[in-house]
Amino acid sequence: MHDPHSTTLPPRRLLPRTLALLAVLLASIVLAVGLGSVFIPPAEVLGALWRGVLSLGSGAELSGNDIIVWQIRLPRVVMGLVVGACLSVCGAAFQGVFRNPLADPYLLGVASGGALGATVGIVAGWPRSSIPLSALAFALAAVGTTLALSREGRRFPPTRLILAGVVVGSVLSAFTTFLILRGEDRARQVLAYTLGDLGFSGWRDVLTILPYAVIGCGVLMALARALDTLQLGDLTARSLGVPVERLRLLVVIAASAATAAAVAYVGIIGFVGLVVPHLVRLVWGAGHRVLLPVSALAGAALLVLADLLSRTTILSQVGVVTTLLGGPFFLWLLARGRSD
Amino acid sequence: MKTVLIKTTLTAALALSASAAATTYPLTITDDLGRKVTLKAEPKRIISVLPSSSETLCAIGACDKLVGVDDYSDYPQQVTKLPKVGGLYNPNIEAIVALKPDLVLISQYGKLAEPLAQAGITVMAVNPETYDEVFSKTLVLGRLVNREAQAKALVLKMRQDIARIEILTKNVVKKPTAYYEIDPTPYSIGPNSFMGVLLTKAGARNIIPASMGDFPKVDPEFIVKANPQLILGVDAKTVAARPGWNTTAAVKTSRVLDLPAGLGTILSRPGPRLPEALRGLAKLVHPGLFK
Repeated sequence: MHDPHSTTLPPRRLLPRTLALLAVLLASIVLAVGLGSVFIPPAEVLGALWRGVLSLGSGAELSGNDIIVWQIRLPRVVMGLVVGACLSVCGAAFQGVFRNPLADPYLLGVASGGALGATVGIVAGWPRSSIPLSALAFALAAVGTTLALSREGRRFPPTRLILAGVVVGSVLSAFTTFLILRGEDRARQVLAYTLGDLGFSGWRDVLTILPYAVIGCGVLMALARALDTLQLGDLTARSLGVPVERLRLLVVIAASAATAAAVAYVGIIGFVGLVVPHLVRLVWGAGHRVLLPVSALAGAALLVLADLLSRTTILSQVGVVTTLLGGPFFLWLLARGRSD
Repeated sequence: MKTVLIKTTLTAALALSASAAATTYPLTITDDLGRKVTLKAEPKRIISVLPSSSETLCAIGACDKLVGVDDYSDYPQQVTKLPKVGGLYNPNIEAIVALKPDLVLISQYGKLAEPLAQAGITVMAVNPETYDEVFSKTLVLGRLVNREAQAKALVLKMRQDIARIEILTKNVVKKPTAYYEIDPTPYSIGPNSFMGVLLTKAGARNIIPASMGDFPKVDPEFIVKANPQLILGVDAKTVAARPGWNTTAAVKTSRVLDLPAGLGTILSRPGPRLPEALRGLAKLVHPGLFK
């Protein structure tokens, strides 16, 4: 679909597009903080933000709509930004490292692991605060299992990785389904998790996942040049001095950590990681040094807008919105690719 | 005035129930799936796959007709000894057929009707969803199993017991605004759902408007904005951990109450224990009234 050699746009064409994207991102943040089941006019949003900053210094208590802006909406929006950025960067990196346009952040069983971890916690009736930890632990364990299963000596051949990921994912999903059927009355909570929901995101949740997100995505962006070289094929990349096996392992670990963190609090949000990188490649080209950071911005904007839609319409879960938007878009991409 | 009214209805209903003759079979009834179902004779071997139906059958003196129940039927004690035939989504159809029932009472949800009907078993979907349906479906069940008089008496008794509690709560001056959580995703109850009716009757003002539906998924910021004085159905620790919720009146005055273990179950069952559920709820809302 894309020619990896014509990857980098000249700055003259890169800059306006990126600025436009930044404007969309800012606009979506402003919209998302102002709109919701309670409408707060823009001036009041700004006032609330200002009073919130002041109260950080003085320790004064917020009241009324200030609470909604500062304690409920803003953390939710920031959570959307972080998770959207994470999923999109990981999606782009996975697609690059496996040279597979269908790869997504959940490819190696992260999502099914996270879902199983959350389900175990929910069905067992653990307190809500421990659910993300359980999701995170299971997600990482799932990727660990995938890696162990696909190992061939010191190598991790991509086909084996993907196959192992699919199998681990299916087995874990079967466990999840079993648990849901056993604990019928909690099925809705599990369903909400597997559809993704930014509902109760607070500042503490954001701060908990932020290190994983920053380090994970940071490592991926640092590997952008190597990922570019990898597009020429394993052999060529190796001959150009890229340690292909180590690169693949590093990408998988960094992306899995970031994805597991994204999944932990808000559940499994579909299609963002799959679709956003493709969208960005269409407009910005396929070079990873641009693709990864721009995907972060675009994914962040998309998820914030999707969450806004979920809060203000009957769709009610952000994962439902992203899938409804992402699915048809992806089909359009496929159809377009065929006619080229 | 009120007592007079109750007495009049009571007498009228007693007169009615005395005149209620035995059900005549064959009996044809349109069930909750919209199917016309005919009972050839009074059913003697009944399986109930809905806890509320099991409770109602026992409350109208047809407990001994039950030969099997679903996994969740646990009241009264008698039904716990019966063979279990699975749940709504994972029913054990073979076990149901093996018990040779002449009537299976199901919910309109799940997919039991078709396979059982194909096996030649009479299936009837009876599941109350609104407050009024709790009573009307009790009467339907009474007709089905030839216990009409008992069903009428039960409905009357339930209405009386409910009225007794309502008399206490109706004239309370301070009715707290309340948020009732049925699921931490969070889902709540609208005022027109049968649980919502109970909440109102318990002397609370539901913060959920009817326009949001019977069991709406709610936006957390809506609840913070509505600032309820009472939060029911979730524990204080969970609520305090939710962003912004510690600013609500309920948290500030420590009026966040998880439902006692048994009460949650009774409240979710539209059956004969409705008055008991209401009493438990009213005690939580107005502890002072029930000393």
